[in-house]
Amino acid sequence: MWFPIVLLGVIGFAAYFLNWNLLLSLDFSVVWEYRMVLLKGLMLTLALTACAAVLGLFAGTVLAIASQSGFAPLRWIVTAFVEIWRNTPLLVQLIWIHFALPLVTGINTTALESGVIGITLQASAYFTEIVRAGIESVPKGQWEAAYSLALPARIRWTRVILPPALRTMIPPLVNLTISFFKGTAILSILHVSELMTVTNRISNVTFKPVELFSSIAVIYFVVGYLMSKGTLRVEYYLQKRER
Amino acid sequence: MRFEWDQLIRYGPELLQAFGVTIVISAISLIIGIVLGMIACLGKLSGQGGAYRLSIAFIDFFRTIPEVVLIFWVYSCLPLLLSVRISSEACGVIALSLFSGAYLAEIFRAGVLAVPRGQVDAAHALAIPRLHIWRKIIIPPAIRRMMPAFVNFLTELLKATSLLSAIAVAEMAYVASILGAKTLSYFEFLSAIAVLYFILIFPFSVWARRSEKKLLQRTGH
Repeated sequence: MWFPIVLLGVIGFAAYFLNWNLLLSLDFSVVWEYRMVLLKGLMLTLALTACAAVLGLFAGTVLAIASQSGFAPLRWIVTAFVEIWRNTPLLVQLIWIHFALPLVTGINTTALESGVIGITLQASAYFTEIVRAGIESVPKGQWEAAYSLALPARIRWTRVILPPALRTMIPPLVNLTISFFKGTAILSILHVSELMTVTNRISNVTFKPVELFSSIAVIYFVVGYLMSKGTLRVEYYLQKRER
Repeated sequence: MRFEWDQLIRYGPELLQAFGVTIVISAISLIIGIVLGMIACLGKLSGQGGAYRLSIAFIDFFRTIPEVVLIFWVYSCLPLLLSVRISSEACGVIALSLFSGAYLAEIFRAGVLAVPRGQVDAAHALAIPRLHIWRKIIIPPAIRRMMPAFVNFLTELLKATSLLSAIAVAEMAYVASILGAKTLSYFEFLSAIAVLYFILIFPFSVWARRSEKKLLQRTGH
């Protein structure tokens, strides 16, 4: 009963304060005009997401296995790595890699290289946590069975522990991939030519920020939404197969 | 290469001031976000009607678009659309509030839904007034259950404030890059803020993980 009144109030408020001249002169043809450039930006965004997900998952699995080792210093190194990359902002990591690191190592990286290194390292730290949780969720009996059959370490991991661990990890893994899809927009700080950078550049040339930023917000939303709906599908499929 | 401590000491006060800005901006955004989150959470819990659909749209939209895009949209579009001048700090707070509102709504909802249904039904059966049910029966256990997720989100929010450097809000990341450019000691300043962010965020994430484990042991799920 209160809702229509509130909604009416908000609409009235917005209608009063909106700049109607600007609103009526909005011209979304600029988006169509630059469609190829924007599409290329989106492709790079997706490529970076895939890169973060695949390399991150690989590195994360290796690190998670290392974190289970009996050699304590190795466990400490993995923990320190994970905590450092999880508890600092991606933006700070990126500018540190791009601007500060070359001063020490003397190796200059391009913006794209720095971006890929930064997002992959952060992804591997996050993936380590998830893979570790997945490994720890495997029942103890499986470990004991593998040990009592004297399976070599490689077989124990690839045939006994990792397959069920990976299956329980699928929902958090896909969520993480979506959050790195969002994270790629941060790479625009370094002017990697992904969707956000491209939009900024077009907006600087055409002076049409409202049309451009609103459109890419919708593009990001649609792609991200499809990804998260896709997850539900995959989960449903896996559940059905297991039964 | 030598690590120039004297530059850090000389510009230390400016860095610490920026540290304060980071905290203040996160705090204001968090408070507005809590209010927005509670409204959206109630809307989504209502389960049907206009308020429900609007809350779902709000939550899904602001959870799915990247924070950077949201910040740039508020910074470059909102002043034009409303034909007012908005300072970059205010833009940052608006963007981060919307972002936290959407995330917190889901966290609150998960907390409320984790309260056993039987307790609420029992309260209804005893004809306890609705407001009282919320205040005494649903909210206290819900808060206990959502605390780990809430603190976890707080770490995400603190990290997201660094993105405001893109719209020239004088928080840590921005001040550090300005000072780095001025003194050419990028390595010193960028490392310093990395350490400051770590000091700020690490306690929260440790606390969130600990309390999550404790909660798991107590509730068993």
